[in-house]
Amino acid sequence: MEGLLFNVNNGYIEGIVRGYRNGLLTSTNYTNMTQCESIDDLKLQLGPAYGDFLASLPPNPSTSSLAAKTTDKLVSEFRYVRANAVGSLARFMDYVTYGYMIDNVALLITGTLHERDTRELLDRCHPLGWFETMPVLCVATNIEELYNSVLIETPLAPYFKGSLSHQDLDELNIEIVRNTLYKNYLEDFYNFVNNHPDMAGTPTAEVMSELLEFEADRRAINITLNSFGTELSKADRKKLYPSFGRLYPEGTLMLSRADDFEGVRLAVDGVADYKQFFEAAGLGGGPGGPGNMGGGSGAEGKSLEDMFYQKEMEISKGAFTRQFTFAVVYAWVKLREQEIRNITWIAECIAQNQKERINNYISVF
Amino acid sequence: MSGAADREAVFPTRQSLGIMKAKLKGAETGHSLLKRKSEALTKRFREITRRIDEAKRKMGRVMQIASLSLAEVTYAVGGNIGYQIQESAKSARFRIRAKQENVSGVLLPAFESYTTEGNNDFAMTGLGKGGQQVQRCRETYARAVEALVELASLQTAFVILDEVIKVVNRRVNAIEHVIIPRTENTIKYINSELDELDREEFYRLKKVANKKARDTAAADAEMKEKKAQQQLLLESGQENEVPAAEGPDTTTDILAAEEDQDVIF
Repeated sequence: MEGLLFNVNNGYIEGIVRGYRNGLLTSTNYTNMTQCESIDDLKLQLGPAYGDFLASLPPNPSTSSLAAKTTDKLVSEFRYVRANAVGSLARFMDYVTYGYMIDNVALLITGTLHERDTRELLDRCHPLGWFETMPVLCVATNIEELYNSVLIETPLAPYFKGSLSHQDLDELNIEIVRNTLYKNYLEDFYNFVNNHPDMAGTPTAEVMSELLEFEADRRAINITLNSFGTELSKADRKKLYPSFGRLYPEGTLMLSRADDFEGVRLAVDGVADYKQFFEAAGLGGGPGGPGNMGGGSGAEGKSLEDMFYQKEMEISKGAFTRQFTFAVVYAWVKLREQEIRNITWIAECIAQNQKERINNYISVF
Repeated sequence: MSGAADREAVFPTRQSLGIMKAKLKGAETGHSLLKRKSEALTKRFREITRRIDEAKRKMGRVMQIASLSLAEVTYAVGGNIGYQIQESAKSARFRIRAKQENVSGVLLPAFESYTTEGNNDFAMTGLGKGGQQVQRCRETYARAVEALVELASLQTAFVILDEVIKVVNRRVNAIEHVIIPRTENTIKYINSELDELDREEFYRLKKVANKKARDTAAADAEMKEKKAQQQLLLESGQENEVPAAEGPDTTTDILAAEEDQDVIF
């Protein structure tokens, strides 16, 4: 049914995005990149995919400028797609940007709290999370003003409403504010893809639910693991878990009670995928909990975070097997982000001459 | 020039000779002490150089690991979190205590690093994702800063010791090559001057003795002559008592007899 009218409005966008997906770097590209001796070689390897954007870089650019330029490409493509999107796809794409907006707003709130000149912070904001009224945020000089007159005008206003007061912005740690916003955002997005008449019951709802559920679970697990040893209380932690996902509700309840890595492992036991991740990570984890990318010491095996990224990429890749769905846009943005991270990682390894860990990138194509 | 410059401007007296001798003795004691100090400092200096070498190598390794862990953070968080970290840091976690170490009278500053427990300002950064990387990165950078602090105290000690060793060596050389020879020269000069004075004195005394001897000889001769005359007079008086009894006769005779005698006094 959804295939009947989808292409009328969204066919072009889907085609474009699928084209972009084919432009993503493949394993062969990555293998070639890992062979590079210098950043210039890497630039050359990236030539076909990123040519125009890397042209202005000086010889042997820093990894951060390389990352900035590759992000620029994502941003310009995203803006092009967004400009051509209509109707509910346009709204869907706005939803995609809200995640970045939350980061930007959190950044500006931090700046306002410390009474910095927020104008210079605008440069640091993620371009995807840019919204028209964002420069206005800089006008506010105190947090109450910011909350009452400025934040209310942003697309994020609903996420503040009901869960955060302006006193909260002052008192709570900015990370809690950010994660509260993100939780509200994920729930809203989930609600949007499942209940909007254009999307309910379509492949969009199915694929996006999977992606968002995974994202929610990942956040819940990460928040739990990262909160060990901090002043974040269990009750506060519970408020940061999104109220959907494969772990919800039993898993999240158990997560909220977990005291250590073992507790988290028990909580996720119900979901086969996560259980598998924890088993793999638990072996190499040790007392420090699940290692990240091996840290400074041993690089044996993959860390939990790596496996989450891997899983996310696989789901995103899977999204392209479905047709007539908005989810390809979301999946494409995620895949592209991972690609930028991979490039940055490989560039860092080359720049620092640490070739033994260069293969830590995640490639799904 | 050499003769005048190499000694001190003193009067060649016995008192200053005594002073100079004391000075020479002092200079020699000081020289040996300073020499020993310089040796002790040099030993220390070599040790510090070795430790600086080690610390620099260590720093290279640690910084490499640290910057790689920063790359991991960038990878995991997928963006720039520098600003958040800067803003959420409220008080220093890693602190430094400065101490002083005494190496043969040289005060070397030594920095000691320590972390204040329970000060975890950005524990929640990256709560959603990458938190572990952020924490691990912080740990590795704390280690890197530790290595830097160690290196800093070694380097400061290195610079200060270098300076002090130069000063001490300069002093040792100055004493060895300037002060001691000069004092020795002064002593030699005073000695020679004193000898010269002695000789002069001796010569003068000899002269005086000569003169005295001559005078005595002259006086003796005069006396003898007088005696001889008196004898003569006596003899002549015995021959003709009358003229002897006549005063004017004898007086004229005496005058006549003493006509060729010079009056010296």
